[in-house]
Amino acid sequence: MRVATNSYTGEMLDQFSSLVAQQDNLQSQASTGLAVQAPSDNPAAMETSLDDIAQQARQTQYSANISALQSRGDTIYSTLESLQTIVSSASEITTSVGSADTNSTSLANYADQVNSLINQVVSAANAKDPATGQYLFGGTASGTPPYTTTTDANGDVTAVTYNGNGSVNQSAIGEGQTLSVDIPGVNTSGSGPRGLITDSQSGADLLNHLISLRNDLQSGDTTAITGTDAANLQKDENNITYQVANNGVAQTQLTTAATAATSNSQTLNTMISSASSANLVNTMVELNSAQTAYQAALESGSKIMQLSILNYIS
Amino acid sequence: MLGLFSTLNLASRSLQAQMTGVEVAGQNLANVNTTGYSRQTVQITASPDANTPIGPEGTGADATSIQQAVDAILNGQIQSQNTTSGYWNGQQSALQDAQNALDEFLSGSSSTSSTSSTDSTDTTGTGLSSQLNSFFSAFSALASSNSYTNQQAAVTAAQSLATTFNNLGTQFGQVNTALNQSLTQDVSSANQLLTNIASLNQEISNSESSGNPNDLLDAREQDLENLSQLTNITTSTGTGGTVNVTIGGQTLVSGDTVSDTLQTYDPGNGNLLVQTASGGVNLTLTGGSMQGTIDARDGTLATLQNSVNTLASTVITQVNNVQNSGYNSTGGTGNTFFTGTNAATMAVNSALTGNPALIQISASATAGDDTSLALQISQLATATQSGLNNQTFNDSYDATVAGLGDALSNANNQVTDQTTVSNLLATQRSSISGVNVDEEMTNLMTYQRAYEASAQLVTTVNTMLGDTINMVSGSAA
Repeated sequence: MRVATNSYTGEMLDQFSSLVAQQDNLQSQASTGLAVQAPSDNPAAMETSLDDIAQQARQTQYSANISALQSRGDTIYSTLESLQTIVSSASEITTSVGSADTNSTSLANYADQVNSLINQVVSAANAKDPATGQYLFGGTASGTPPYTTTTDANGDVTAVTYNGNGSVNQSAIGEGQTLSVDIPGVNTSGSGPRGLITDSQSGADLLNHLISLRNDLQSGDTTAITGTDAANLQKDENNITYQVANNGVAQTQLTTAATAATSNSQTLNTMISSASSANLVNTMVELNSAQTAYQAALESGSKIMQLSILNYIS
Repeated sequence: MLGLFSTLNLASRSLQAQMTGVEVAGQNLANVNTTGYSRQTVQITASPDANTPIGPEGTGADATSIQQAVDAILNGQIQSQNTTSGYWNGQQSALQDAQNALDEFLSGSSSTSSTSSTDSTDTTGTGLSSQLNSFFSAFSALASSNSYTNQQAAVTAAQSLATTFNNLGTQFGQVNTALNQSLTQDVSSANQLLTNIASLNQEISNSESSGNPNDLLDAREQDLENLSQLTNITTSTGTGGTVNVTIGGQTLVSGDTVSDTLQTYDPGNGNLLVQTASGGVNLTLTGGSMQGTIDARDGTLATLQNSVNTLASTVITQVNNVQNSGYNSTGGTGNTFFTGTNAATMAVNSALTGNPALIQISASATAGDDTSLALQISQLATATQSGLNNQTFNDSYDATVAGLGDALSNANNQVTDQTTVSNLLATQRSSISGVNVDEEMTNLMTYQRAYEASAQLVTTVNTMLGDTINMVSGSAA
């Protein structure tokens, strides 16, 4: 075919432009590690990657929520341990009263001990989450401490008032999964999460039971102490044991959810990479090929451009 | 027998013919790099024989015409191809602008391990998808802990989301304006080309009687090809070598007259279209960059704008439905979360940006630390929305992004394909009409040698005439 002189230059410029664009694209892939950067690069891969990135963002947030819940759960567990100790101490007093001769002095001493235990329970029930400063056992009510007390002239607690409610907040820990480690102070509805201090399902009412015990100790009603009071404290102990077990179950669920979130995140990362990442080996080989082709085009082009009949006529 | 003077005349005409050949070769060499130039060839034909007693005798040669090396069918194919290329170039340019406006790209850094095909880590989106993820994550964190820090983070994430929507609304508006301007410029260019073509028609018509106006024909062909890139044109041959031009069924150039021009008009929605200026006939264009721009603007870009606006309004409605039903930490109500109705107008209520604690995420007026509504808002991330074809917010947006990607990818492929076809046609035409320096230099030498030979003939005849005159003078003496 007949070839016009400026066909060389036009075609060469097109070829150079194409090869430079190819090298630019491959260099960009090598430097970013991404074969897909813009929607037009690979629309289907872009859609998949964006969807996977959204899922991965949720998994990251689930992990953060789980971490916060684990920390909160640990704090609650420490409080539950304290309450277990307190209830055990109170139960020991009822046992001591029932197993030995007691006089008014010893009963008064026991009453003082129970007063101390009552104050310890109030303090524990008003505990805050050190991470957020929020009350742990006030349900979802806010503003005031969950428990306020009424005292007599001697400073003994005669009544307690619960300022919270029976609800707890749920946190997302997985796709469609929510969990709460919180325990309301009181639940008298018979449904929902059991109350820590007062719970109608289990019959627990720790503070009022301790007040009754103290009153019975002060009045010397040993029958009530060894009978009603001991039985009530057993209900309180059972309730706290239930809460400890429940906390353990929640911690196990959180551990499982944390593992799942990490695993899901890794899987999604692999899927995102599979959809959008450049194969560096292939990219570098293709880049070398493109560079070689570019050099060859430059050299051959420059040689062709130098040749003309003008070199041979004089 | 011709005789010496006739032979001298023969040599003189031969010199002129070869000189014309040299001039044409020089003209070709001078225009070796001229865009649209078609190489010319001189036609040298033998002069009519003279009848002599011994039979017909040659009378030399004359340069009878200078012709262009042109393939009219190929030129027609190139015009048609230009219309197709122009259409896809218009689409590509518009959609590239839309993709840049959307600003949804993947970013990440490669790991140093070079053996795996899945090395990239921390790949993230850069646009609205990222803001949607941050928004729902912030509410998930708020549901987990109703602290002031988390309230502030949720409001800040909402502000970022609204700002991103606002930017998209602004960017799409700017792209729309730019495409209207591009269309107006194309119309202006087309009108200039129509004027040029009519003017060239007149010059060609005037020059036809004195030979082929080759350079004028080249210039007109170039204008026709430029016009065909802008829109689909139909041409027909008129009297005196003129070409009539029809666009969208309306004849705009008839002979040497521009019977009508083009102008843009607003059909009422701000998206300009094209009509004839005098006749006011609305044109249905079928190709070229004008229609490519119109189709991209009224098709993919409009769909993109609608999708983003629908997404924004759905986010506004759904989040407000939840938040507005709740109470803030002190039991207060009355603060809507998002204001506005679409991407351009979406904003976070200034009362909340001023005091994030006013956010209403409690389902009870007496439960100030209740975060159940924050949890509900965070769960909207995975909830399908009837207003989004039963897709989630992210799925709907991702599909919108992919739709734009598909359209631009298709336009890119079409441009690549059409460029290949255009290059092939250009190469084919170049092989017919393009100037080859080697060829022209060879022609130059050919005509030069022939000129030298003819000059030698003049010298020879001159010598013979001198001899004859001397012979006559000598016998007279």
